Parts: sequence; C-alpha cells; structure tokens
Amino acid sequence: MPVADSVTVRNTVAYAIEQAESAAREGQQQVSLHLVAVASTRAVDPDAQTELGQAKDLLDRIEVWLDEDLGADPPSNLDIELGVIGADRYLFSPGDYADAILAYADEHSIERVVLDPEFNPGGTTPMLRPLEVELVRGDIEVETAPVERPARSTALARAATLPKYLAIFGASYLFYLLLSSYKPLDFLTGAITATIVTALLAPIAFSRQPSLTRIPRQVARFAMYVPYLLKEIAIANLEIAYVVLHPSLPIDPKMVELEAAIWGDGAVTTLANSITLTPGTLTVSVSERAFDIHSLTGSAREDLFDGGLERAVRFVFYGREAAAIPSPRERGQGDDDGTVEGDISDPEVADDD
Amino acid sequence: MTPLEWGIVALALVGAFFAGVASIGIVRLPDVYTRAHAASKSDTLGAVLGIAAAALAIQTDLATIKAVFLLTFMFLTNPTAAHAIARAAQDQGIEPWTAGDEEGKS
Amino acid sequence: MIEFEAALLAIASAFVLFAIVSLYRVFAGPTDHDRVIAVNVMGTNTVIAIALVSGALDKPLFLDIALVYALLNFLLSIAFSKFNVEHGGVL
Repeated sequence: MPVADSVTVRNTVAYAIEQAESAAREGQQQVSLHLVAVASTRAVDPDAQTELGQAKDLLDRIEVWLDEDLGADPPSNLDIELGVIGADRYLFSPGDYADAILAYADEHSIERVVLDPEFNPGGTTPMLRPLEVELVRGDIEVETAPVERPARSTALARAATLPKYLAIFGASYLFYLLLSSYKPLDFLTGAITATIVTALLAPIAFSRQPSLTRIPRQVARFAMYVPYLLKEIAIANLEIAYVVLHPSLPIDPKMVELEAAIWGDGAVTTLANSITLTPGTLTVSVSERAFDIHSLTGSAREDLFDGGLERAVRFVFYGREAAAIPSPRERGQGDDDGTVEGDISDPEVADDD
Repeated sequence: MTPLEWGIVALALVGAFFAGVASIGIVRLPDVYTRAHAASKSDTLGAVLGIAAAALAIQTDLATIKAVFLLTFMFLTNPTAAHAIARAAQDQGIEPWTAGDEEGKS
Repeated sequence: MIEFEAALLAIASAFVLFAIVSLYRVFAGPTDHDRVIAVNVMGTNTVIAIALVSGALDKPLFLDIALVYALLNFLLSIAFSKFNVEHGGVL
C-alpha cells in the first residue's frame, strides 16, 4: 500500500492491517504487508530533505497506528515493512508513480495493492483514477480501500444577500413572538434575538435565493404531501405492529439499493425521511442520489420500487411535470438480483439515460 | 368526562399501543437494523399521538403551540436519528440479519 | 366514572413502563448501536410521558422540559453516530 498524508490515510492503514491480519490468521503461509511512502524527488535534490523528512514523519505515525491496530498479540506469520520508494528518480505523472509501485511490487512479489481513496501525494491534481488505470497494466490486484471519505460537502457558507437576511429575520422574529407573552419587552428582546440569529445563520441558511413565488408554492404542495405521508405512516405502523406482535416474527429483511430520480439536498432529505417512516423501509445511507435501504418485508420492497413516495417528493419540490418520470421499477431497478418479485419480465421496461 | 376528553384519552391510548409495539419490537427483533425500524416508525407514531393528546389536553394557547412544535420536532428527528445510527452500524460493517440465519445472535 | 386526569396519568405511566421494557435492550446489547437505539426509544417515551403529565396536571411549563429533553435525545443519537462514522474523530 502506498501511503501519503491524506484525510483518510489513517482508515486506509487500518483497513490494510485488518486485511493482512485476517489473511495471516486464516492461512499458514507468510503474509507480508508493505507500507511505502512514495518520494517524488530524487534523494540528491535540494527539496528531497524536506520531503524525506515528511515521509519519515508519516511512517513514524504509521508505526504507532500499527501497534494500536494489531494489539498485543499479532499473528506470527505476519510481517510488516515500512519504507520509502522512488527516491532514485523524479516521479512526475501518475504513470511514474505506477511504475515505481509496480517495480517495488515485482521485487517483493506483492499480489495486491491497496489504495487510499484520497491518495494524492504532493499535488492538487486528482491522482487516484489515472494511477489506478496505470496500475492495472501490471499483473497485480488493485483495490481502493472501502473507507468512508469525509463528507465532501460543497462550501457551507454562501454569500448572504438581502432577501436571505429578510427571510431569516422575519422567520425567527415571528417564531420568537409566537412563543412569547406579547409584552412590549418581548418585541424588543425578540428583535435583538432575531438580529443575532440572522447574523449567524444568513450565510448558511438557504442554498438558493428565497423567492416569493417558489416558496409558497412549495409549501402549498408540501401541505398536499402531508396527508399522503400520514396515510403511508399509518399503514407502516399497522404493518410493523402486525409483524412484531406475530408469534413467529415473519420478517425477511434485506438491504436494497435505490437510485432515486431526485436531486437537491431538501428533496433528498425529505425522501430519505419519508422512506424511513413508511412501510418496512429504513434509509441506511445516502450518497448523492443512491440510497441504501434496509427493508423489513418483501411487500415493503415492492412498494418502494413502485415509487409512489419518490413521485410525491418530486411533485413537492419540482412541480407536476416532474412527477411523470418513470418509477424505479420502470427504470429497470430492483429486479436485477431478484430482490423484487413480480413484473420482472415486464416488456415495457423504460429505457432512459 | 366530556366527549373531547374521551377523544384525548383514546388518542393517548393508541399512542401508548404503538409505543408498546416499539418497545416489544426493540426487544424481539433480531438485529440492529430491524430494531431501528421499530424505533423509527412505531415510536414516532406513538410520540405524535401522545403529544397530540397532550396538546389537546392543555387549554392554554401558548402551550398548545409548544406541543405542536414538539410534535413536529419529534416527527423530523426520530427518523433522522434512526437513520444516523443505522448508517453508523453499516459503516462499522455490521451485517444485516437475513431470514437465512436462524437465531444467529441477540 | 373515570377521572380524566387519572386516565392521562395512567397512560403516561404506561409509556414509562414501555421505556423500562426497552431497558432490556440497553443491557443485552449486543452492539453499541442496539443500546443507543434502545436509549433513544426510552428518551422518546420519556418525552411523551412528560407531555402527558403536563396535559394531565395542566402545567404548561413541563412542555419546555419535554422540548429540551427531545433535543438532548436527538443530539445523543447524532453525536454517537457521528463519533462512530468518523472513527473517533470529532466533527
């Protein structure tokens, strides 16, 4: 595994160690894990001292992590080596890095390379994708460690504008007065509080400009959505109550994936929460538009891929036209591995994209 | 009791029923994901019904508004919390229980 | 004739009872996630019980306590999962 300082290097090291340790515990043969820092400059160059110093620093830290992760009782047939490679020449392109890694792998008969998803030594250009492509040339297994990248949120703060200030000030002032006792003093303290709230929250509160035409329309459509949601929740709860109270606990839980045709933070959040509240489905994780959903019963999965909820959320956020997008099942999802019974052989599976 | 009071008591009773379902589900279901189902759905409905009953029972306007606010808050946060925990569980590599492995753990 | 107050208080105690039932899961585990879910359910039940008591005794002040409790309850779950996902890192 090549290492370089990054936000996920700690987790990637942990992953590599865990893999190596379990391999060592399973088999009899010797398992070796090499953790190498790749130096881009030659050891004789003037910059090299600082770079090597940083690499040394990182390797020292990794050594501490090794002790932490392996604990008191490491398997005897696991050996771990730390080192710096590529110090004998300039490394410039991803291809150079790949060459250095492959040469090292060849030399030590390494079968598998674990990559840190944020591996990006000494540069700002994204490096992982081309490096992966280059590495595949060699006769070696390449894998990006499945570690969670830190949420790559777009910049949270956005420029605050007058409509935003007004909207937040109005909303917080009204809210304050709603909970107050309508004495004259309350109007004053409310104004002060609302000002503070506005100053703090205006840069992060809206992702788009608040508009007097769009927001009331969304609120109105949301009000239409709520009864539908309540009905679904009632059904969900009766179903859960039946399942939980049934003596033999008739559940058939399974994890499914859904690629929802919605976009935008608000819509995704609404859909995720709605999915959680409705029959037998629970959103486990969301990235962009792909939902991992844990479903409790088979019929819950059916409903999910029929896409009633998704359509309703689209209606709330984008209006009537958007509601006409085909349902997840029609987009050909959910029936690839038999997770959904039913119309698998439906001849009219829509072919979008 | 007046009819309104009977209604309030009925509402709270149904809420208690669902809260009971949530608790029994928490105890009976086999793994963390299925338990999150019980926690997120049944308990949310139980909370909404129970607090709605409380909101109707309190005659003061201000308190009713507060109760409605509390209700909305529960409604939003409960599924979010269940989602967050399920996500953390998935992140830690806890495998979902399936109908295949009988009496695996718990 | 059942008294309204007594009925509401009885239902509130039912919620507390269910919270105690969930306590089993807090002890049994097996993972921390199970425990947190169970604690979350207990917290929710506590909030409902407080709200119902406030309705029964006509003490609107209790609602503020219920609100704060609900906030803390939510914060517990979020903090726990955040802490776990980031592998010990804090925010």
